[in-house]
Amino acid sequence: MTHSIIPQLVKKDFLIWRKMIAVFCLMSLLAIAGLSLVYGHIPHFVFMNVGFTILIIPVAACGVALLIQTNVFEKEKSTQVFIMSLPITVREFTLAKLLVNLPIFGALWVGTAGVAFYFTFGLGLLPIGAVPFITMIFVGIFAGYSCILCVSLISQSLGKTIFAIMFFEAATSASLWIIAYLDPIRNYIYGPSIVWNSTALTIVGFQVLIIVSVIAATILIQNKKRDFI
Amino acid sequence: MNIPMAVECKAINKRHSHFQLQDVDLSIEQGTVMGLVGPNGAGKSTILRIIMGLQKPDSGSLKVLGHSMPDDQIAAKRRIGFVAEDMRLYESETIGFHMDFIKSIFDTWDQDYAATLLRRFDLIKDQKIKGLSHGQRVKATLMLALARRPQLLVFDEPTTGLDPAVRKEVLDEMMNSLQDETRSILFSSHNTLDIEQISDYITFIYDGRIIESKDKESFLDSWRRLRLVNIDNKPLPDLPNIKQIQQSGRLCAVTVNDYDDSTADQFTKAGLTVENIEHLTLEEIFICNVQYAKELKNSRINS
Repeated sequence: MTHSIIPQLVKKDFLIWRKMIAVFCLMSLLAIAGLSLVYGHIPHFVFMNVGFTILIIPVAACGVALLIQTNVFEKEKSTQVFIMSLPITVREFTLAKLLVNLPIFGALWVGTAGVAFYFTFGLGLLPIGAVPFITMIFVGIFAGYSCILCVSLISQSLGKTIFAIMFFEAATSASLWIIAYLDPIRNYIYGPSIVWNSTALTIVGFQVLIIVSVIAATILIQNKKRDFI
Repeated sequence: MNIPMAVECKAINKRHSHFQLQDVDLSIEQGTVMGLVGPNGAGKSTILRIIMGLQKPDSGSLKVLGHSMPDDQIAAKRRIGFVAEDMRLYESETIGFHMDFIKSIFDTWDQDYAATLLRRFDLIKDQKIKGLSHGQRVKATLMLALARRPQLLVFDEPTTGLDPAVRKEVLDEMMNSLQDETRSILFSSHNTLDIEQISDYITFIYDGRIIESKDKESFLDSWRRLRLVNIDNKPLPDLPNIKQIQQSGRLCAVTVNDYDDSTADQFTKAGLTVENIEHLTLEEIFICNVQYAKELKNSRINS
């Protein structure tokens, strides 16, 4: 009788927001279709920059919309009182929210990264040496999203979440620009082979560490909360 | 015989920035209804939220249906139905969606009883929550709590903002749920009529402290208003249980708590004529208690 209700909570959020998620998936598919149609009709450099923006918008929008709806509005609209009256603790509430948001954003992120890699390298827009840097861009985006997700879960405040979106978006862009100008990265971006040197591995490792540590910290902080309503 | 307890709070303390619960002791026997009455901001909701494991007390111990809270809240909450005035359901979803959701969580969900409650409350399963009135929302939330057949029902201001007809429906259903004699109800309200109507026990709370906690009959019976005639303007006896004095010329109304037959004698001995002794309604007791507690608090601050 003490089985966890996390699966039911995850299913509930997925069912409530399935239409919104479907709209963003459709937007992603339209972006891919649109890019496929214009490929070859516009310069490669423009295609790559515009294409990346068009691909990433639905993913980012879906991630942000979902975390605001499931985490922030749960509290603001007082549905959290209803949920917390069920047999769960704050820890399970937090795990359920992570298990709704991370897989949905993750699935869109993996799909978009796959398409971006195909366009970039499959169609020869960039030499294969750019693989580590493009990987850093995508892992960096996931790290930034994880930070925003955790702020939204801990604070459950719209203002703080919007601030986190601005801050981590700017921080991700700035860090990627800095990475792009580091000699051990820059020297191999236009190279003919993939070079995973110690700098590239350290950067990706650090990005992964950010993702893991913010999620672990969120569970820990939530677990220590004395009052949850 | 050892009476099983639904709730046992011992010396619960909880400090917020502008409010403090102080040494709250509260016990509810299984199969009884406890009404928690007090003015806004007295601490009723805080007590209920601590009982539900939603807030951790700073000190003290708490057992709900034999489970230590908040550590064992998952097991406890499987047997509790909670309805709060500020509790909302998902507006974009239907009542049926919420029923399926709760059914997937509670093995004890009673589908036939849920259908009966839907009919009794004039609710339609396919209706979206955003289209419901406040009264219908309360009834939907109550239905979701009752149909899981909990051992303890905790209601935080369930009848606030309801019209008299809906209020009666809600109270009637709360009472119906007590046909199972092991089921208990703890509910807070500042509507004294509701408390008087369905409670077996009454706990009065003010400024984070429990002022009185008794069975309803003793509670109502312990309060009296004595109508006195004081022709010679004699001083009133200094009784510790005098809660309120209203003087109008030679006539004097004294409200007392812990009343017994000797109380009237004390006034007679002091040279006053006792014209009449009246029982008080819970509302009158409530107002008197609040005023007395306020005066006591102010005099404590001033000294």
